Amino acid sequence: MANQPNAITPHSSPITYFPGCALKDQAKEYEKATLSALAKLGYAVRELPRWNCCGTVYSQTQDDLMRHVGPVRNFIRAQELGETRLLTLCAMCYNTLSRSALFVQNPENLRRINAFMDDEEDYRGGVRVVHLAQFLLEEIGEEKLSQAVVKPLSGLRLGAYYGCTLLRPKEVAVDHPDRPEVLERIIASLGAEPVIFPERTECCGAYLTVTRPDIVRERVGEILLSAGRAGAQALLTSCPLCKFNLEERRPLGAPKIPVFYLGEALAWALGVKEIPAELAKSLTGVMR
Amino acid sequence: MSVYPEYMQESIRRVEETRPVRMGTNYPRLPLAEQEELLRRFHPDYKPEGKRPLRVGPSYGELVPHEVADLLEAYPLLDPGEIDLSQVDYDVDVLVIGGGGAGTVAALWANEAGIPADRILIVTKLRHGDSNSIMAQGGIQAADKPHDSPAIHFLDVMGGGHFTNDPKLVRALVEDAPFIIKWHEELGVMYDKEPDGTMITIHGGGTSKKRMHSCKDYTGLEIMRVLRDEARNRGIPVLEFTPAVELLTDEFGQVAGAVVWNLETEEYKIVRAKATVLATGGWGRLHIQGFPTTNHYGATADGLVLAYRVGAKLRDLDAVQYHPTGAAFPEQIVGLLITEKVRGLGAQPVNAMGELFVHPLEPRDVESAAFIRECLPPEKGGRGLGVVTPTGMVGIWLDTPMVDMIHGKGTFQRALSSIYRMYVRFGIDPTKEPILVYPTLHYQNGGVVIDEHGWTGIPGLYAAGEVEGGVHGKNRLMGNSLLDYNVFGRRAGLAAAEWTKKARLGHLTLRHVERFVEELRRAGVPETRRAPILLPDYRGKKTLARVVDLL
Amino acid sequence: MDEVQVKVKPEMVTVYIMGQAYQVPAGLTILKALEYAGFRLVRGVGCRGGFCGACATVYRLPGDYRLYADLACQTTVKDGMYLALLPSTPAERRPYDLKKVKPAGETLLSLYPELARCVACNTCTKSCPQKLEVMDAVQAALRGDVAKVAELTFDCISCGLCTIRCPAEIPHYHVWQLARRLYGAYLAPKAEHLHRRVQEIAEGKFAADLDRLMRLSKEELRELYKAREIEPE
Repeated sequence: MANQPNAITPHSSPITYFPGCALKDQAKEYEKATLSALAKLGYAVRELPRWNCCGTVYSQTQDDLMRHVGPVRNFIRAQELGETRLLTLCAMCYNTLSRSALFVQNPENLRRINAFMDDEEDYRGGVRVVHLAQFLLEEIGEEKLSQAVVKPLSGLRLGAYYGCTLLRPKEVAVDHPDRPEVLERIIASLGAEPVIFPERTECCGAYLTVTRPDIVRERVGEILLSAGRAGAQALLTSCPLCKFNLEERRPLGAPKIPVFYLGEALAWALGVKEIPAELAKSLTGVMR
Repeated sequence: MSVYPEYMQESIRRVEETRPVRMGTNYPRLPLAEQEELLRRFHPDYKPEGKRPLRVGPSYGELVPHEVADLLEAYPLLDPGEIDLSQVDYDVDVLVIGGGGAGTVAALWANEAGIPADRILIVTKLRHGDSNSIMAQGGIQAADKPHDSPAIHFLDVMGGGHFTNDPKLVRALVEDAPFIIKWHEELGVMYDKEPDGTMITIHGGGTSKKRMHSCKDYTGLEIMRVLRDEARNRGIPVLEFTPAVELLTDEFGQVAGAVVWNLETEEYKIVRAKATVLATGGWGRLHIQGFPTTNHYGATADGLVLAYRVGAKLRDLDAVQYHPTGAAFPEQIVGLLITEKVRGLGAQPVNAMGELFVHPLEPRDVESAAFIRECLPPEKGGRGLGVVTPTGMVGIWLDTPMVDMIHGKGTFQRALSSIYRMYVRFGIDPTKEPILVYPTLHYQNGGVVIDEHGWTGIPGLYAAGEVEGGVHGKNRLMGNSLLDYNVFGRRAGLAAAEWTKKARLGHLTLRHVERFVEELRRAGVPETRRAPILLPDYRGKKTLARVVDLL
Repeated sequence: MDEVQVKVKPEMVTVYIMGQAYQVPAGLTILKALEYAGFRLVRGVGCRGGFCGACATVYRLPGDYRLYADLACQTTVKDGMYLALLPSTPAERRPYDLKKVKPAGETLLSLYPELARCVACNTCTKSCPQKLEVMDAVQAALRGDVAKVAELTFDCISCGLCTIRCPAEIPHYHVWQLARRLYGAYLAPKAEHLHRRVQEIAEGKFAADLDRLMRLSKEELRELYKAREIEPE
């Protein structure tokens, strides 16, 4: 059968990629799937050398200058490569790094951070943090993406769970904070049926999972009920913490909906990763 | 820009000129008879004016270095009449005196043998871990390779000790060795290994098989910090900055603990213990015959003094080990240890004219004697081919650039990172320029007499590590001191634990000290002489003192 | 120790020891300068050779805002140096049972959650007298790469300077000790030949050889010793 996608022209310069801590440990599968998918699409990816943690765990609770040092140090690493774009997969890293990028657009803030980091060259600004979703739509586009699909996910009803960090604050949002559609467009390009459910942009409770798991359970319950009522067979996310909460904090009575990373869905559709059996049986397309 | 003065750089140029010829060749090892001749004529141990016979105690009449005799024939720090022995501050099963390698191993194995952690007490004059153990660089011997055997190891040890060792102790040393390495592996010590797990082993001075295991050149540090970490996990209590100043006995002649002194609060405490393990280490800070030393700040032979006063026998105190390669330049690091591993990796000892003059890996005493001969001026019987530094120190070159040349760029920095770091701090890159070395006071070959269980013969008193003698005879091989403290620390700990099951203590007394004082008075020893000295005194102009007339 | 005529007359420099000015000969290490000035140290001295971390010192130099950190036994004094010894670092060490923990990031993070407070300020690296990449080691710990932590921190002497300066209050050297033991005990490949040899000894394989050697006279041992086959380099 005619299954050759349009030949992807290999791109000459590699994308510089910021993994973040979780992607190297608890969320290894997100990285693996995405990197093979990007390779299939013709993109070479190089990991940012000597990258450091974006600091998200504590930086979100603090309102001081120090928490921008970590992100800016990563921008300097990119600057040393002559790089102006940094790809992230993890939504929290995306959020933390973007907010710092915004912060140092103010020249006085930039000057103070540079003065503190006397062991590095000055950051001159200009590195843009890009989330995987933005990369897929802006760089590749829905049409090219569809054409690259080898195993369309037809018949599969996927709900995109945005959570908070892709959409708030609005200055760093990848799309409209209340009515986003970027992930649904990607899902559609992969051949699947995007499922919209009201709780898709509501917070899962994040780190409260450690100290107040009861609150997280309540939130997760609402999210899963909402997704279930809308008919989602699986949820896509790009945040390792959201995935943990949605899976490990499901309260009794809420539907058990499997959660996957955006990169994994990409990898299924591009044929570089096997779609899990439980979902495969929903596929109605020829390539089952 | 070299930090070496011009005239030393000239000598270095000669070293560089002869290097191509020297690479791949080696000076033949000396036959036994020649080794003995070299020692007799040039080794400091053989200088009769360096020692004197003891006038008191169980080793009456034996020759020991003056600096050691001054301590053995000395009065106690505290007046026995003023110590209140009725107030016992700590009551334990096993007291370990010394918080270095031997002490920590003894405590761990006493615990293994069933003594609860809170019934063990380690007292130490500095911090837990401050010791010579932590400074050992090159390695630890064990015959664990198929082509090697404990029997061969036995022979190497006996020969290195000039056949004066106690064979029972040597057998214990070599038979326990592989077990010790395995125990370390289980505790998480990061030994250098091949990718398949095979231990990387090299030669040391005097070894016939490559059985020195190492952890880069931080072997002592790595082992000690793992042992210390394990002791901490088990909650074994340690009193830091609290040296022992006197052993306690009871009316039955058993050792019953110790009087300890807190250096910071300047108070004494009484520790009552069913078993006491002496693990006080070496004597480098006595600067025997004026030599600089590799030893740590607290190496002042306290254990010998304490043991002697309760009647323990001592042996081989006239056998002082000088490590052939102590740093000789720049002045800031004079005396510090340059591990034998540097020679193990190919660096040759070379005189001022660039000539190789001895095999790099003769046993330590032979190697030291050879270096001394090379530097001594002709009128004193030497060859006068050493290099004299601007501050009056003397030495010969160790051709360190050879290491990378033989094993590949980066070897020195990786395998000898501590030495590399030390020299770079003072402006010398040992991969580009040779370093200057001279023998330095390093190890106490002899010490308290023990049996193969670490028992001193006095009920309740055990000894392990550098403080005891007989294991190495008159000369210790490289890699056997780390082994010594592990093997005998373990044996002493186990034996001490066993003893506590049946020990019954009488009343605490310092009567043995009073008897010793009477003996001192009868022998006319001046009362100004006191021991143990606990810490050396380097205040004032003594800091500037150079080694006394090495030549 | 005897005093000797010093062959080279030293020039003198001023150092401020915990605020007080002293004249000491140039070229001395900070440790020897303290002793020259009359201090008989109990705390703040150990091996005197750069291995034990007892003599951690912080200092400033004239006209320089930076706070430097190094070992007193390995650092030469400079004129105008303003220094203080740090002989002890308060840092809680959390006990663990090596046999019960996993060689993974979760062990490091559960015992020392402060690790996640790292803001990548690099102060720890700047304070390290061994010139280790301390921040990189923290990052490796955050990623759960225990082997990398062990590799990067092998030369650590636990002086505590990184810990006392860290704004995130991470007790670095305790984490490093844990990571290294985890690596050595679980991640490094085992030495099979070693285990075999221990077994052989326990079974008495070498007992006869050693018994025989124990019975020999000195002369017989000497002959055997001379006839040893030396393994080539």
